[in-house]
Amino acid sequence: MKKKKCIAMLLAGGQGSRLGKLTTNIAKPAVSFGGKYRIIDFGLSNCVNSGIDTVGVLVQYKPLILNRYVGTGASWDMAVADGGVHILPPFAGETGGEWYEGTADAIYHNIDFIDMYDPENVLILSGDHIYKMDYNIMLEEHLKDNADLTVSVIEVPWEEASRFGIMSTDDKGRITKFSEKPKKPDSNLASMGIYIFKWKELRKALLEDHENDKSSHDFGNDVIPKMLADKKKLFVYRFRGYWRDVGTVKSYYDSQMDLMDDMEHINVFIKDQKVFSNSNFHHPQFLGPRANISTALICNGCTVYGAVKHSILGSGAVVGDGSVVEDSIVLPNAKIGRNCRIKNAIINEGVIVEDNLDVINEDGEVAVYGRAKLSI
Amino acid sequence: MKTIGLISANYSSTEFGDLLSNRSLASLPYGGRYRLIDFALSNMSNSDITTVGVIAPYDSGSLVDHIGIGSPWKLGRKSGGLFIMPGSSYGLQSIGSRFLLRDIIKCRAFFERDDADYVIMAGSSDVWNIDFQPVIEQHDKSGKPVTMIYKKVPRGEDYYGFFLNIGEDGRVESIQEEGFAWANYFADCFIVDREYMIDFMNWFEILEYMDVIRIMKNNMDTMDIDTYEFKGYLGKIKNPVDFIKVNQDMTDYDIRNEVFCNSERPILTKAQDEAPVFHHSDADVRNSLVSAGCRIEGRVENSILFRSVNIGKNAVVKNSVIMMHGTVGEGAVLDHVIADKYSSVTEGVKIYGTKDAPVVIGKNKSI
Repeated sequence: MKKKKCIAMLLAGGQGSRLGKLTTNIAKPAVSFGGKYRIIDFGLSNCVNSGIDTVGVLVQYKPLILNRYVGTGASWDMAVADGGVHILPPFAGETGGEWYEGTADAIYHNIDFIDMYDPENVLILSGDHIYKMDYNIMLEEHLKDNADLTVSVIEVPWEEASRFGIMSTDDKGRITKFSEKPKKPDSNLASMGIYIFKWKELRKALLEDHENDKSSHDFGNDVIPKMLADKKKLFVYRFRGYWRDVGTVKSYYDSQMDLMDDMEHINVFIKDQKVFSNSNFHHPQFLGPRANISTALICNGCTVYGAVKHSILGSGAVVGDGSVVEDSIVLPNAKIGRNCRIKNAIINEGVIVEDNLDVINEDGEVAVYGRAKLSI
Repeated sequence: MKTIGLISANYSSTEFGDLLSNRSLASLPYGGRYRLIDFALSNMSNSDITTVGVIAPYDSGSLVDHIGIGSPWKLGRKSGGLFIMPGSSYGLQSIGSRFLLRDIIKCRAFFERDDADYVIMAGSSDVWNIDFQPVIEQHDKSGKPVTMIYKKVPRGEDYYGFFLNIGEDGRVESIQEEGFAWANYFADCFIVDREYMIDFMNWFEILEYMDVIRIMKNNMDTMDIDTYEFKGYLGKIKNPVDFIKVNQDMTDYDIRNEVFCNSERPILTKAQDEAPVFHHSDADVRNSLVSAGCRIEGRVENSILFRSVNIGKNAVVKNSVIMMHGTVGEGAVLDHVIADKYSSVTEGVKIYGTKDAPVVIGKNKSI
C-alpha cells in the first residue's frame, strides 16, 4: 500500500444540543442541510475534493442515521480498497469500555486505526461546519513550514473575537499565543477547529494528554496549549471564504438561507468542487398546475401544489394545494397538507402537517416543528 | 421458481431523426432523469430478479455508460448480477420487433449456465411499472412453456407492434402484426421456460435473422402460449410526437403516482447527485417535472426539464422536453420542442413546433 501523506479524522460524535429538536434522534453531522445534503457532506466532500481518500468518522451520539448515511463512503467516491471511510464508535477493551471524553480522547482511542495507515500527517475535522476548502493548500503550507501543527484560522470581526478561540501569531504565521474566548482579544484570527498534525507529534501529545488527570482531553483546551508551552512549531493557515459553525437553530437557518440567497457563499452548483451526498433515490420534482414558486431551492422527489416563497424544500417534501410556505425550510420527506400557512419555520424530517394547520413564527424568530420521523 | 431476466436493447428506429443518431432507443432520455431501459431494469430488480442479461445495441456507448455494472438496480453482485452481451451488427431497425433470434443465440451461454426455471424476456423502450412476480406465479401454474404479457388498448388507437388474438382459455390463437386496430396489445415482454428457449434456438436456428415473436406467429400450430393481462399504464414511444406525449403523461396525477411514486417499486436510474433546483424570484413553473441541478428564471409550462438545465429570464418553455445541460437564453420562446443534451437556444430565439410536428434540436447544437 502506498504510504498516505495525510488521512482525516472527522469528529462526528457531538450531540449539538443547541439545535434542539433537530438533534432529538439524529446526530448533528447527520442533520439535513440545504434540502438534499446532510451537514457532514461538506467535510467529506472537501476531503475527496482535496484528494484525501481515507477518513475515520468518530461517532458517539445517536449514530443510527449517521452510520447508515455515511455507509462505505461510496457516495463520496471513497469506497477504495486501500482507504475509505471508517465509522469509529467507542469500544470496549480488556479493562472495560469507555466513552469518548473529549475531542482529543476520541482520537487517542483510535491511535491503532491511524497507526494502521501510518500517515505522515493527520487532518482533524469537525463534522458540523459548512464550508468549502481545499485541504491540500493547507497541507502544502504545513509541509513548507515544517510545522508540528497547523491550525486553520479565519478573520472574524473584532467585536465577535471574544466568542472564539483566538490565535496570536508572529509575522511568519507562527502561533505565539492561544486564548479561548478572550475578554480582550489581541488578534481576530479565530480557530476553525481544523488541524493538521504531524502524526508522530500528535501521537506523542495524545499519549501525554491521556496520562494527565487534570486534562479535559480537548484539542482546544488541553492539547494545543500544551504543545505551545512545549515550544512545538505551531502555525496558522489563513482561510478566506465562507465558513459557518451551524451550532444553533438560528445559525442553522441563516446559513441555509445564505445558500439560497447568495450563491457566492457556498455555490453547490460548481462542478469541480462538487458537494456530494448520499440522498435516497427520488423522481424529478413535480410542480402542479397552480404551483406558485419564487426564490426557492427545491429537491428531487418534491411535489408542490401550493405556493413556496423564499424557502427550501428537502428531498421528497410535499406542499399541498392552497398552502403557503414562506421563509421556511421543509426538511426531507415532510408533508404539508392543504391550506396550511408555514412561516419562519423549520419543519422536521418526515413530519406531517395536517390540513388547515398554521405553523407561524414572528419575524426574526425561527422554530423547529415536530420530531424527526426516521425512515429509509 | 428461479427466474432470470433478459433485456433486448438491440433495436432502434429511424423515425426519431437526430434524437437516435448516437444512441439506441433503450438509452433515450425520458421523464426528467431516466433512460428508457430503466423501466425494464427496475421492473426486474423490483420483482427480485437478481440475474439480468442485457443484449447491448450496436451503438452501445451511451447505454453502457448509463447502466455501468448495474448497481442502481442492485445488480452489482458477486452471484448473478448484470451481464452485458453484445448484440449483432446494426440490430433491428423495425420498431415492431425486439427479439432478434440471432442475438439470443449469441448469448446461449447465458441460458445454459444458469439453473433458473424461467426467463423473463423484455424489450427496453416501454414506460411501465409492473410486478413480474404474479406473472411468474401464473406462468408456473399454467404449465405452458410461454406466457405473453398484453394490455387491452382501445380499438383504433395508434399502437404499433404485435397484437394477440386470445381464445376463451386465455391461450394465444394467433398473432397479428402492426397496423391493425386489435385490442390485445403485446407489451414486448414474455416469460419462457429456460430449457424451452434453448430448444427454441435449436429448432429455429435457420431463421436466426428473424424476430422471435414473428417466428412464433408463423408457427402458431406448434406453439402453446398463455397470456397475462397488464392493466396499468403502458407508454409506447415510436416517434417524437409520442415522445412529448408520453413525457407529459407523467404530469397526470394518477399516471405519475402509478409509475414513479410506487414506494415498493421505484423506477431507478443512475444517480448523478446534482444540487437542488434553484427557482429564481421571477420563475414561474407549472405542471412540469423538473430535475435536480436546474436553474430557472423564466416560465415553464407542461414541460419536462432534465438535470442542470438553465432557463433564462423572461424565457418561455411550453410543451417541451429539455434534456440535461440544455440552455434556454433570455427571452427565448419554445413550444413543442425537444432539445437534446447540451443544446442551447440563444437569447430571444423563438421556436414553435406543433403537437403533430415537434421541433427537435440535436445534441450539442446551438440555435
